[in-house]
Amino acid sequence: MAHVPTANGTAMTGATSLVKSLEAANVDVMFGIPGGAILPAYDPIYDSTIRHILVRHEQGAGHAATGYAQVTGRAGVCIATSGPGATNLVTPLADAAMDSVAVVAITGQVPSVAIGTDAFQEADIRGITMPFTKHNFLVTNPNEIPRVIAEAFHIATSGRPGPVLVDIAKDALQMQTTFNWPTSINLAGYKPQIQPNQSAINDAASLIAQSAKPVFYVGGGVIKANASRELLELAQLLGAPVVTTLMARGAFPDSHPLHMGMPGMHGTVAAVTALQKADLLITLGARFDDRVTGKLSSFAQNAKVIHADIDPAEIGKNRYADVAVIGDLRETIKALIPALSAALSKGRVDLSPWMESVNKLKSTYPLGYDTPADGALSPQFVIERLGKICGPDTIFAAGVGQHQMWASQFISYEKPRTWLNSGGAGTMGYAVPAAMGAQVGAPDTTVWAIDGDGCFQMTNQELVTCALNNIPIKVAIINNESLGMVRQWQTLFYDSRYSNTSLESKRIPNFPMLAQAMGCVGLSCDSPADVDATIEKAMSINDQPVVVDFRVHRDAMVWPMVAAGTSNDEIMIARATAPDWDSQEL
Amino acid sequence: MTIHKLEVLVENEPGVLARVAGLFARRTYNIDSLVVGPTENPKISKMIIEVSVEGHSLEQVIAQLDKLINVIRIEEILEGAISNTKHDTQPDYQN
Repeated sequence: MAHVPTANGTAMTGATSLVKSLEAANVDVMFGIPGGAILPAYDPIYDSTIRHILVRHEQGAGHAATGYAQVTGRAGVCIATSGPGATNLVTPLADAAMDSVAVVAITGQVPSVAIGTDAFQEADIRGITMPFTKHNFLVTNPNEIPRVIAEAFHIATSGRPGPVLVDIAKDALQMQTTFNWPTSINLAGYKPQIQPNQSAINDAASLIAQSAKPVFYVGGGVIKANASRELLELAQLLGAPVVTTLMARGAFPDSHPLHMGMPGMHGTVAAVTALQKADLLITLGARFDDRVTGKLSSFAQNAKVIHADIDPAEIGKNRYADVAVIGDLRETIKALIPALSAALSKGRVDLSPWMESVNKLKSTYPLGYDTPADGALSPQFVIERLGKICGPDTIFAAGVGQHQMWASQFISYEKPRTWLNSGGAGTMGYAVPAAMGAQVGAPDTTVWAIDGDGCFQMTNQELVTCALNNIPIKVAIINNESLGMVRQWQTLFYDSRYSNTSLESKRIPNFPMLAQAMGCVGLSCDSPADVDATIEKAMSINDQPVVVDFRVHRDAMVWPMVAAGTSNDEIMIARATAPDWDSQEL
Repeated sequence: MTIHKLEVLVENEPGVLARVAGLFARRTYNIDSLVVGPTENPKISKMIIEVSVEGHSLEQVIAQLDKLINVIRIEEILEGAISNTKHDTQPDYQN
């Protein structure tokens, strides 16, 4: 905020003031589509230093802004016109809200005198997005534009990040105003707590030091707070098992001996069981989501809970917290390290029996999959090879469903911000546009979208945007010609009655031809022997997007699995197969 | 269920009532009564909201309300008490 733009005090239109404000907020790229109500803003955009990427559907703009934000840690920006342009942003904004992603959406609105008259392309986008934006604004006075834009970026990126929408009436964009970028932001009702309370830190440290079966339950907040290095230090100081949720994959290195994998519905036996048998959950930026806890009343019944989060409303929402620590997680963990050192120096519980138990689970029940007898391609094998060949610097963005779970399971994530997915909302169609945004945010990094054939058919039009704008993402379609996860539930819970889950996408569409039509390289692969060569071919192409149609067998299922609404104690490692609990001592 | 009376100070801006009412609706809390009026500061309005919830849910109502950017302060009005209670967000329920 200290930076005063040179345009300060200059007379200009509201539209120019908007663009100057976005420049002052250090926006370098935005994704969008023009239309009637936002058209005044597109004239100064034509002259701006900000790169505008013309997408093919506003949903693509929203997910691209999300992918950009998740990779860079900065706010992603999307822009659309009123009415249908704005409502097409609804899904990505809901998605960003569920996964706490800093996105600023700018929408044009009909002229202020027409608001409320059912005017052409009018939609109450502020009303529509109230439930799943962190905050939103309707601007009808051009003098307010700089302040509102400054507040929007502040709200989106501070505290618990989230999407903010700014709806601006067309006449406010057209009127004359004087540009004045605010020197400070003062929101009476918004003051996120950054520094944790020291007595809560001390309580947490002494509870940890007394615990015999502690587990670090790590959520996406650790990545948002850039606290991975601090987490590594804390975990090694205690020497306790770590589990990383779907949103936290990469927050702690998968290869680390303390890492037990992902907890939850499709988590590892070691991670799920470590939480169930723990006497203390050290919860860092996680929110006790139903996909992690299973049946809540049976979740980690013997555990006390330390809950550290920047959002006070998460404390006690789903699970009682014995110790609550409100604050930025990086600050929290930094404060916890010396406090825990001091507590441990007074007396230390031997954690080796606990580590031995969880390590035995980890070695007895590694993630695995069956290879089909007929030589057909396994989806898990494709994804595993992608991870191995492309390495830990690659960014992977997944769609939603079976391929998403396999991509979280069979790729080893070693660094934060290398794994992007739609965790909370479960938005099919997220992968291609999110990968596009990620590639724009990280132009020198290889970005793969791992998508299902169902998901891909929802948003693949953004490959045109990628091809035309030198955004060379790579897409692995895990083509099982099905809505695979839904089909898996039909197999398990609906007597294999496959109602409307067959997509027949090995016949139609022809994905490589579709890719070529959109200006991408199209490849296909249906044999295990060709997988490595196909991935290497894709990796050798860097001047064009590449789409690979991996034609996999359709009966592969995601295991382990805790059926929805049941206890995590009921985890299955394969169909009708529970772990052999009798041989385990916990 | 107990009826709790909350005094909520909000910014006097269009849409604030919709934000508060919408929050109660989508989190499935029922409003028993609602009064909105001015304060001596024209930029700030006061809402008195009566809601029927148990202890833990009350804390969630307050914590979620507090997340609304336009909500400045929330106090529970305890009938007959000399001073009101400013709520923190830690629930007091036991599982």
